[in-house]
Amino acid sequence: MSETEVPYQETMGLHHPRSWITRYWFSQDHKVIAVQYGVTAIAVGLVALVLSGLMRIQIGFPGLLPFITPDIYYQAVTMHGMIMVIFLLTAFLLGAFGNFCVPLMLGARDMVFPFVNMLSYHVYLLSVVVLMASYFVPGGPTGAGWTLYPPQAILPGTPGVDWGIVTMLLSLIIFVVAFTMGGLNYLTTILQARTRGMTLMRMPLTVWGIMMATILGLFAFPALFVSAVMMLLDKLVGTSFFMPAIVSFGQPLEHSGGSPLLFQHLFWFFGHPEVYIVALPVFGVVSELISVHSRKNIFGYRMMVWALIAIGALSFVVWAHHMYVAGMHPYFGFFFATTTLIIAVPTAIKVYNWVLTLWKANIKLTIPMLFALAFILTFVVGGLSGLFLGNVIIDVPLSDTYFVVAHFHMVMGVAPILVIFGGIYHWYPKLTGRLLNNTLGHLHFWVTFLGTYAIYYPMHYLGFMGVPRRYYAMGVGSDFYPESAATLNEFITIAALVVGLMQFVFVYNLIASYFRGKPAGSNPWDATTLEWQTPKTPPNHGNWGDTLPVVHRWAYDYSVPGEEQDFVPQNVERKP
Amino acid sequence: MRTKEPGQQHPIRIYLVVWGLLFLVSALSYSTDFIDRGFWRWTLILLFMVLKAGFIVGVFMHMRWERFALISVVLVPPILLLVLVGLMSIESDYTRSTRIEYFVEGAYDEAVPVSARELAN
Amino acid sequence: MTRVLGDEREPMKTISEARETLFTTFSDDWGSDITTLKGVPWGKAMMWVFLLSDTFIFTCFLVGYMSVRMSTVEPWPNPSEVFALHAFGVSVPLLLIAIMTFVLISSSGTMAMAVNMGYQRRKGAATNLILVTALLGATFVGMQAFEWSKLILDEGVRPWTNPFGAPQFGAVFFMVTGFHGLHVSVGVIYLLTIAFRIRRGTYDESNFEIVEITGLYWHFVDLVWVFIFALFYLW
Repeated sequence: MSETEVPYQETMGLHHPRSWITRYWFSQDHKVIAVQYGVTAIAVGLVALVLSGLMRIQIGFPGLLPFITPDIYYQAVTMHGMIMVIFLLTAFLLGAFGNFCVPLMLGARDMVFPFVNMLSYHVYLLSVVVLMASYFVPGGPTGAGWTLYPPQAILPGTPGVDWGIVTMLLSLIIFVVAFTMGGLNYLTTILQARTRGMTLMRMPLTVWGIMMATILGLFAFPALFVSAVMMLLDKLVGTSFFMPAIVSFGQPLEHSGGSPLLFQHLFWFFGHPEVYIVALPVFGVVSELISVHSRKNIFGYRMMVWALIAIGALSFVVWAHHMYVAGMHPYFGFFFATTTLIIAVPTAIKVYNWVLTLWKANIKLTIPMLFALAFILTFVVGGLSGLFLGNVIIDVPLSDTYFVVAHFHMVMGVAPILVIFGGIYHWYPKLTGRLLNNTLGHLHFWVTFLGTYAIYYPMHYLGFMGVPRRYYAMGVGSDFYPESAATLNEFITIAALVVGLMQFVFVYNLIASYFRGKPAGSNPWDATTLEWQTPKTPPNHGNWGDTLPVVHRWAYDYSVPGEEQDFVPQNVERKP
Repeated sequence: MRTKEPGQQHPIRIYLVVWGLLFLVSALSYSTDFIDRGFWRWTLILLFMVLKAGFIVGVFMHMRWERFALISVVLVPPILLLVLVGLMSIESDYTRSTRIEYFVEGAYDEAVPVSARELAN
Repeated sequence: MTRVLGDEREPMKTISEARETLFTTFSDDWGSDITTLKGVPWGKAMMWVFLLSDTFIFTCFLVGYMSVRMSTVEPWPNPSEVFALHAFGVSVPLLLIAIMTFVLISSSGTMAMAVNMGYQRRKGAATNLILVTALLGATFVGMQAFEWSKLILDEGVRPWTNPFGAPQFGAVFFMVTGFHGLHVSVGVIYLLTIAFRIRRGTYDESNFEIVEITGLYWHFVDLVWVFIFALFYLW
């Protein structure tokens, strides 16, 4: 079939930029869009980082900063969560890595619809602007927590109930639109615009991860969209989808007959796949990093692919394990605990395969590799506490304690962020032609890695003591906590501030190395995948020369016996 | 992508036949409104709904002539939705039974569907 | 890739032969390079995936509807009475809804014809059929506007309350039919744009797959109405 079929990418016309505006702002080049996504996500992530610093100061040293009122605190909790999960992790992994890696790794010139791709970024930017605008509307942003559970999210008493919740929901709706435009592009590109010889089973695992995450996103974000629309109607029009008959400040409200549980179901039907929307690209990228930097082919490539697919499918039938104490159907606990434990199997397969890739490998402790190794450790820790929480009987006492906070920060906060850092250190040379500063990189890695353990390990302990999450302060009646809880909180806060500050060093490194970094050459890590084989570094618009590269082998030919080099790029022909 | 052969050309007659069938099934579907609510009405509603959906997707959207790769891409993911619908219908039944149990005085015995009452016991 | 699977001109196959072709092409397609969906233009692949995503949106709306309806302890209004029309001196249940259904199905039929004309490169016929489709779509939206205003002005149905029973009735009705009506309206604009561009000659170089892609969207809107009709009006 491939003899007669011509990749349309070979003949497609590219929209070449004519001015500064079309080159750097309304660019249709996937690499520029990737940078735009990345820069926006990092910028908004820094805001969330500062918010978490404020929260930690209040928890560790209550009353130290008098301007942190309960309202400010809850707004910070909410915005930190929402920004980190949606506007940083999802946007960075799919918007930045997805845009950058997919066409380059597939040997394509660009996404299939560059214009839609450009639009996707600008709609995302709009959603970020709307979200940030909530700090400037009367009453400030919503303080409902990132899960936005009704009825409390839209009732007086919650901060930002007049405007903040509306801007938040609007921002989410806009984000879903932006993601859909991007996601359709990634998926169509992966399915329909690969180069000659690039079969699905020769794709790098990064692309597989991004593909599965995109599919999950396209099917999960609709639930968020719907719940946001319904909550907006409840808030603005006065419908009662989620609002039961309720008395607020002594006044019976007009609502009756709505079901708050319905929101939780819809939200988590989005929310749990969302965890894997973040995790699957991370799995892909980390497979790449481990294989490249340990000079060994990935162990069990096919198994890795099938594990990604299995996780993707199963992630849609585990959602209610977030709702064990919500008062749902009593038999659901059994069902969802079972599926939750089943989904641990393909996940564990992936962890074993990463470790087996490292086994007897020629491990190079470069910065990306350090981050990848740190990811495995962090992910295992967070994953194991997830097995605890997946069981109803253990989850019930641990619900809404710091154990949960520690669990999800380990498994879907720190672990993906470590891989994002690793990925940035890995692909920065291709993007700019220069290496990031190594000394600053080591500093950044060790402080971040050890620091996160200093933050989240003690939190498990706090959780076992029963310290509840989301509390502004431990007031009267909380004296059953031992003295050590307060001391631990101080320790955690100091660690968090140090880790937070270190991220600014990383941003400095990103900017400074762009001008003064060591020139990297076209393939500094001796990697096999196509993005390192471009004729120019950084790749120009259209990525390839006159013809697209032709792929002859899978993505992981490292240390092949009988070859001169310890890697064979994908576009090198097999010896007869 | 421009292929040499234009895709999806079929005799006009097929469209006209399916068009007629859709009118017929719609009329049948409409007529279920005159049956009393119950098992048969539900069965017929769902049957005609699936028939109509099948005609539209199969013929008008040309699914019948597509390759199996595309068919699988389109038809497999909605299975996830069936899980959602199934679980949410169980959940809604349960919510209703708790509401009657806790909020509606004296209504318990008449109003609770049998399945929910068994559950509560 | 010289033939389309299931082509009318192919000789009859035995069942085992047919199954073999089906699964061989399946594994061949997924195992191949360049494209997975053979012969499917980018725009068509993208439209299918978009419609799949949109299916999830509509199903989530309908699941919300199912949940509030099944869990309410107040009586749910009987749609066949609420949506009855007085014609010829008798009250006919769901009369307007039935007419709307037939209008939308007719528009689907004309759209299917337009796709066929497009592939035959009969630009004039294709454009006219698309315009008829758009007209029928606009009629549908107009009838929906009539239905909404009748319900709001005459019957006193509001999103937050209604005189017949559970307040979620109005909320679900306006939300679901509103979102569907929005899709139809967007579809009408989409159809008019495509008709204009065909007439201007934008697609003369192509095989007019764009008509099929537009058609997919339009049939999907019809498809959603099938489910709304069955699950909202007939339940």
